[in-house]
Amino acid sequence: MNKIWALIKREYKETVFKKSFIFITLLTPLLMIAMGVVPSLIMQLKSEDVVKTNVIDHTGYIFNDLEKALNDTLSTGEKQFNLVKVPTKTMHSEDLLNSQKKLIQDNSIDALVVIPANVSDSGKVNFFAMSVSDYVLNKSFRNAIGKIVIDRRIKKSGLDPDIIQELSRPLVMTTTKITKQGEESETGFQSEYFSTFILIMILYMTLIMYGSTIMRSIIQEKSSRIIEVLLGSTNPFQLMAGKIIGHGSVGMTQYIIWALFGIAMVLYGGNVLPISTKYFNFQPGIFIYFVIFYLLGYLFYSALFTAIGSIVNTDQEAQQLIFPVIMFLIVPLMMLGMLVKSPNSSIITIMSMIPFFSPIMMFGRINISNPPFIEIAGSILILIFSTIAVIWIVSKIFRVGILMYGKRPTFPEIIKWFSYK
Amino acid sequence: MALLDVDDICKSFGNFKAVDKVSFKVEPGKIYGLLGPNGAGKTTTIRMIMNILIPDSGTISLFGEPIGDKTKSKIGYLPEERGIFQKMKVRELLTFFTELHGLPATRGKQLAYEWLEKLELSEWADKKVEELSKGMQQKLQFASTILHNPELVILDEPFSGLDPVNVNLIKDIMLEIKSSGKTIIFSTHMMEAAEKLCDDILMIQKGVKVLDGPINQIREQYGKNSLRLEYSVDVQYIQKSKAVKSIHDYPNSAEIELHDGFTPNELLTDLLPNIKIHSLLSRQSSLNEIFLQLAGGNDNE
Repeated sequence: MNKIWALIKREYKETVFKKSFIFITLLTPLLMIAMGVVPSLIMQLKSEDVVKTNVIDHTGYIFNDLEKALNDTLSTGEKQFNLVKVPTKTMHSEDLLNSQKKLIQDNSIDALVVIPANVSDSGKVNFFAMSVSDYVLNKSFRNAIGKIVIDRRIKKSGLDPDIIQELSRPLVMTTTKITKQGEESETGFQSEYFSTFILIMILYMTLIMYGSTIMRSIIQEKSSRIIEVLLGSTNPFQLMAGKIIGHGSVGMTQYIIWALFGIAMVLYGGNVLPISTKYFNFQPGIFIYFVIFYLLGYLFYSALFTAIGSIVNTDQEAQQLIFPVIMFLIVPLMMLGMLVKSPNSSIITIMSMIPFFSPIMMFGRINISNPPFIEIAGSILILIFSTIAVIWIVSKIFRVGILMYGKRPTFPEIIKWFSYK
Repeated sequence: MALLDVDDICKSFGNFKAVDKVSFKVEPGKIYGLLGPNGAGKTTTIRMIMNILIPDSGTISLFGEPIGDKTKSKIGYLPEERGIFQKMKVRELLTFFTELHGLPATRGKQLAYEWLEKLELSEWADKKVEELSKGMQQKLQFASTILHNPELVILDEPFSGLDPVNVNLIKDIMLEIKSSGKTIIFSTHMMEAAEKLCDDILMIQKGVKVLDGPINQIREQYGKNSLRLEYSVDVQYIQKSKAVKSIHDYPNSAEIELHDGFTPNELLTDLLPNIKIHSLLSRQSSLNEIFLQLAGGNDNE
């Protein structure tokens, strides 16, 4: 036991103090912030400018309503839209338009809105600006003018615009999830899907990442001929346990750092940064299942990666062999759409029992649909027993493989290793 | 009681018999040589002593206790293919290995300190192993295998791939271990090295024991009583001498083997009146020759 502990410590220290580890651990949260903050920052930056707009109003009645409608203010308290009515009678309309366009080119104004006299019938207005891709700006004008024109039409027909608005109020639908325990949680479909997706991606990424780290570290110790030196005082099983637990604790460290960071963001981030947390919907129960499936999935897959590492001699050889293992992880990802749509269909239920897929599939189902407890327990038990079986098989391969150099063994040869005493 | 008792061990890989019914005993305080050409089964035998491989049949015991994970801490093992953690700090490496040998971490720190002093590597303690020269790394590697003061040290081809300076370095350490009363088993295909260092030897070929025993006895038993003579005139005078058992005649020189119980003096008495002698060299058979003689010599590299 002490020997395993010494191996774990060494493995842990070596990985955690590596520059790449520190880099990834710190960079990931920064990236997450960036993804949450940058878009809203950009939005804010854009809207900090006063939009100077000239309006050519051939109808004569829209401008005043428009000025009232576009009453958004900036954080400075200034009005966002500075509207100026252009006198229309002074010039021929063609010349007027050209002279106004010139003002845009000279940057004297930001935008020009031309409202034709027949707008009520044609339903068309013209918008000119240097940059016409500003979605928010376009929408503000379109909505404001549109509403004025529609109100005008309604009034013309003799109806009261307020009554019409009241009658045509859109419907609001609230989505509520009913769980087996009878709890109700009011969540949007989007948030449901989003948090599940995030957790599944974390599962998938880390299973591959830490698994292949173990594999590479075995290949490296094999090629630098360290393994046999270690076998002078330990046995292969201790070596294997040291590797798997060592790298597992490295992964845990990374998770804890990220989780603390996430919690801090959720609790205090809102005060400092414009970040949206409404999509995160994590319940403690889900978290416990996450830990269970992460640990079991990690043990299961890291054992598979350990086997590959012990069989091959180089990273290149390993590439061919990890392909099927990664396929097993990708299949549940590809089924994600189906999982979300019909989480209790028979194919998803069966897949959530198969140890290769269950860490992701069963966890996904628990997130989305509350499957019967017997199925959850069954899935976990099957996973536990198959993990034990896989570790037993891998330890047989490992103890022979780590001392084999040269040609990669064929599958029948590996089977033969089991008969070695 | 023998320190190590290997009794009738066999090991096959598929159809290939790597070790076939090998038995030997190692007495405490000796340097024991495991000799044979490459592929003879030396490394397989050593791996079985280290419990890295399990014999198909036969038993191995250390201090009368069957070999297992527990006995590993009484052995210091340096494999033929030996690497060292390049990225670890020198001091951490030594501490790590003491823990791996089953000693507590506090004792590890103390031992690391002592060994760094002894190896004159103290100023390198906080450097990474990769910054050390090859020679220093060899010393460090050696230290990491024996710093828990094991009763038995097993070295598999300790000289392979080393320059003469490092070969001497390791020989010195081996003699030092022996003088402190510990036992060494080492394997080599270089018979000359074994001849100088070993007290007892085991020769194996193709997994089968050729012979074993104290090196002096083996020499007496199997070594030929031979001379190399450079001379002029006639070979007939040599053949007539009663002392001569056989003779390989070359132009102006001859390899002569004497009958048991005769010395070169008797040959010289016969020869001196008749032929002109340029030089006479008395030589004992080398282990290599004995090995060739016993193993048929077809498979030696």
